[in-house]
Amino acid sequence: MFQLGFYSICLNGVLFMNRLLKVNYLLYIGTFLVTVLLFFCIFGPMIAPHSLTSTLETQYTNGKVLAPPMEPFETDSYPLGTDKWGYDLMSMILNGLRYTVFIAAAVTAIKMLFGTIIGLYIGTWKKTPGWMIAFENAWSYVPLFLILYFFLSPISFNSSLETSTLIGYFIIIASVISIPSIVSSVRLKTAELYQSVYIDAGRVLGAGKHRLIWKHIFPQLKESFLVMFILEIVYVIALMGQLALMNIFIGGTIMRYDPVIYLSVTKELAGLVGQARGNIYGSTHILLVPLIVLLFTTASFSLLANGLKNRFHSNYQRTPWIKTGHEPQVIPARKQYGAKGSFWTLSTPKIALGALVIAFAGAGIYVTATKDADIGVKSGSQAEYTLNLEMDANGIFSAEADIQLKNKSDEEWEELVFYFIPNVFKEGHQFESVKGTSESEINEVTLNGQKAEYTLEDDTLTIPVSKGMADRAKHKVNIKYGFTVPEKGSRFSKVSPNHYLAQWYPMAAVYQNGKWNKEPYKEGLETFHTGFSDFKISYKLPNGYSFVSTAEKDPEAEKNEGAVKAERVRDFFIAVMKDMDMYETEAEDGVKIRLFTRNNHDKDPAASLELARKALSFYQENIGGYPHNQLDIVLDEGQFMEYPGIVTINPYIGDKRFYDISIVHEIAHQYFYGVVANDPYHQAWVDEGMTEFATSMYYYAGENQPEPQAFGISRYRMEAIEEEGLGRQYSNVPLDEVKHTGFIYGQPTLEIYKMIQEKYRQKGETPKEVGMQYLSDYYQKFRYKEVDTQEFIRFTKDYFSVPTGYFNNWLDTSNKASS
Amino acid sequence: MVRAVQQIFIIFVLILLLAALPKIVSVDPMEGGLEWNFGSLHEIYGDFIMEISHGSLGSYQLGRQTRPIAEDIGDNFLTSLQIVLTGVISAVFISLLFGVFISRFRPTKIFGMMFNILAAIPDFIIIVMSMILAVKVYKVTGIRVISLRPDGGALNTWFPTMLVAIAPTLYLFKLVSVKYYQTSGEDYIKTAVAKGMGLSYINFQHVYKNIEPFIKAELVKVISLAIGNLFIIEYIMNVSGITKFVFQSHEVQPIAIGLFAMLLISLIVYVSIRLLFYLFKRGFIYE
Repeated sequence: MFQLGFYSICLNGVLFMNRLLKVNYLLYIGTFLVTVLLFFCIFGPMIAPHSLTSTLETQYTNGKVLAPPMEPFETDSYPLGTDKWGYDLMSMILNGLRYTVFIAAAVTAIKMLFGTIIGLYIGTWKKTPGWMIAFENAWSYVPLFLILYFFLSPISFNSSLETSTLIGYFIIIASVISIPSIVSSVRLKTAELYQSVYIDAGRVLGAGKHRLIWKHIFPQLKESFLVMFILEIVYVIALMGQLALMNIFIGGTIMRYDPVIYLSVTKELAGLVGQARGNIYGSTHILLVPLIVLLFTTASFSLLANGLKNRFHSNYQRTPWIKTGHEPQVIPARKQYGAKGSFWTLSTPKIALGALVIAFAGAGIYVTATKDADIGVKSGSQAEYTLNLEMDANGIFSAEADIQLKNKSDEEWEELVFYFIPNVFKEGHQFESVKGTSESEINEVTLNGQKAEYTLEDDTLTIPVSKGMADRAKHKVNIKYGFTVPEKGSRFSKVSPNHYLAQWYPMAAVYQNGKWNKEPYKEGLETFHTGFSDFKISYKLPNGYSFVSTAEKDPEAEKNEGAVKAERVRDFFIAVMKDMDMYETEAEDGVKIRLFTRNNHDKDPAASLELARKALSFYQENIGGYPHNQLDIVLDEGQFMEYPGIVTINPYIGDKRFYDISIVHEIAHQYFYGVVANDPYHQAWVDEGMTEFATSMYYYAGENQPEPQAFGISRYRMEAIEEEGLGRQYSNVPLDEVKHTGFIYGQPTLEIYKMIQEKYRQKGETPKEVGMQYLSDYYQKFRYKEVDTQEFIRFTKDYFSVPTGYFNNWLDTSNKASS
Repeated sequence: MVRAVQQIFIIFVLILLLAALPKIVSVDPMEGGLEWNFGSLHEIYGDFIMEISHGSLGSYQLGRQTRPIAEDIGDNFLTSLQIVLTGVISAVFISLLFGVFISRFRPTKIFGMMFNILAAIPDFIIIVMSMILAVKVYKVTGIRVISLRPDGGALNTWFPTMLVAIAPTLYLFKLVSVKYYQTSGEDYIKTAVAKGMGLSYINFQHVYKNIEPFIKAELVKVISLAIGNLFIIEYIMNVSGITKFVFQSHEVQPIAIGLFAMLLISLIVYVSIRLLFYLFKRGFIYE
């Protein structure tokens, strides 16, 4: 009994082993590899670690010199190495792969479609015309790549044709010239089948020609067509490779003289192999890497084709009578006639296919979702605010802030740090620009529902996180506090009867590089760095006051109680105003512009509003969409200052020109501050420089002012520096080291403009056009991201193909400056 | 006969058209489109026929000097012919041997597998890979496998010959093994087995006879494969064969002559192989 059981287990084991050996591995592996390949074709450019124009610059890090050509697997940032000029091989391959595969597939699809249809019909003719056979024979004597070579060689080198046109020509010519061979093979197969008895039977029963072809012959051939299709893809890739060896790359060849080198425009794989052909003697990897990827590509298709062929073979083949050595080992999959058609029965191949599809989709979604994640400076925290604000008739505010702080970093937080700026204007403050004083008091702080200790020093509010809570991914902070606003203050200011509430709530600092990026408050430029947050605000004001703010939709005038909200903004500014005149107009895309003013100054509100409309419309057209539905402009005594969706301008200054420029400047800030963020303490130049450049470009390109006038303000700033004898300074220094604001505003503007003047020919016709395009591309790339000097340089040097050293004149490009 | 004339005529027109393509097609720099210059076509045909009818092959540019093609083409032609002829004949021989006659033996299976793997790789990849390999071999062992100098002699031709042979071998091997497998299921094989005939005998008398027509039918394609690779190999390995006239000149005359020479090579190879088949049949197979 026992023995019998044992034997049956053994027998089962042997049968199982036999089954395993007979699995059609080729088919499964081929399917898997082709799926992987298609994935890289579709998502390759998104995964590519470097852009096609960025090069590895020779550098000396940790006692090692990194210089192109890098060997594969030497550094993490260039996994497959670089070529002689420092271009990343992996990025080129990921960008080029789709050209190779999709062009090959397109050629194959066209030629198979026409070839099979023509072949099927000609095959049913009684007699094939002699000239046709003669043509087929003659045609098959000439290697196809020669025809393509002679056609493409006059038009491919340094061609003035578009890349897509050249690809189109290749696809058309390559498919047309290979149609005859397909026609011939389909014709022969069809003719053979057409003599079968079952065709006669069909004809006798009254089947027409089309029915015979599509219902009787095509079903017999469809499987071999499928195999043929896949094999032909490989064949087209081989054709591309042959051409590449003759320096003809699909999509165009860039030929450089002195020395003569050939470069592929599309970075298509065969082209990469071709352009690296000289590397058989040294730096072989430049040639081998694309060659191996190409090999992988063709091998995947070949495996799939052979797998399919094995399956069809085993299904239809008669068993041989003699030992041939060519028997496939695959188990035939017989069609079960009359079996219940249940698609949903589970089988291993179906499960595997399902898993493959899910993996493909999942990885695709992941890649698409995270493709922008590595753009910009990382931030480890994310805040969300729910604020409640009440103001009494004496101008005393009481507020409650519910702040949700998400920890997106890998570390645990020992404390939470906030800016609490109302605290710095208390009696006895030293700020010259602030006339009055404020009172502020924090009544109660709770952290995650428990009453919490806190320390408040100047504007730094620190809430220690008790041990048990440190590992939380989300902290809830509730702060109850009250404040008054200083008379004629700086930003946070009272100009009776109006109250301007800037930085009036505890603003979460940004957690970066393992610490809270919080610097002390200083007079002058902004010292507070905040991330993008959502705000929900409820408010209550005394009668007669209007609420104008950052909110997407402000309440009607004199509505003294309500709730508003704003999404993805870096600050929430509120102007509590009384007795102001309002002017209104509309810019592009239905964006409303409102201007609030009194009539006791010499500036014309209508003209100011018109200037704002023109400037905003210009930016909307030339840079990109304005991030909000409305823009509020408040004209009153105080600072010229930008906040998301609202700006303050001082109309009581004498300099009309500066007043106008400021309006444009603050509007430009809505893009370069409001949407493209930066650390205003350590990287102040990033928004100020870009904004001043955008402002000057408005006058230069939008108003067509002569260049010296349009860039006049920056020139003036630099002259002032010279007069004061301040020498030179980099623009990317922290605020406490800045010698003159001209280095923050003027220097970047002039340097960027100089660069555009020098380099615009690479990108377009005029400096005006290229300057605006540059701003637009910069804006689109870094929307809702944070930019620092390094990111700026990486983007710009890529954009204008300049080395890092190009910026040494005005930016500190050493690594220490950025870390 | 009519078909042969038709074929010759089509080939003639085709090759001259091909040679004239660089003259016909050009990019219009102003509009950025293609320009077809068919006007000069009849001139090109006329000139070519005139030149030939004078008994000369015309001249070509070699560096700065102009040389008559007829004087230089002999050596180049022979080099190319030798490469293709050796390559294709060995391809036919190897594929028949491994595909049919000794394919049932276990050790042969390894060859079969190797061929199958190689067949999945496009020819040009094999060519580039083997060149890298040859350089590596020289670097490591000091044995010079290839020479890229045009005057390298045998060293310059054996490697190209091998590379030219690879593609046709793989193609034919695949064809032959499929046909062999298909044939082996036929009833006449069953009969032969039933009669107690030996395997080798069946292979010769039954299988080969039935496979040969397929090989003959594909012969043109096989030769064209070899010629296609010949162009590339000669070009990248600096072999002075007929490709020199095709790729190194921009005139119609040398390109056309080069292409016709290529055609002649195909023809000679085709005839030689048919002859070999004939002799083989006469010698070994009972008709």
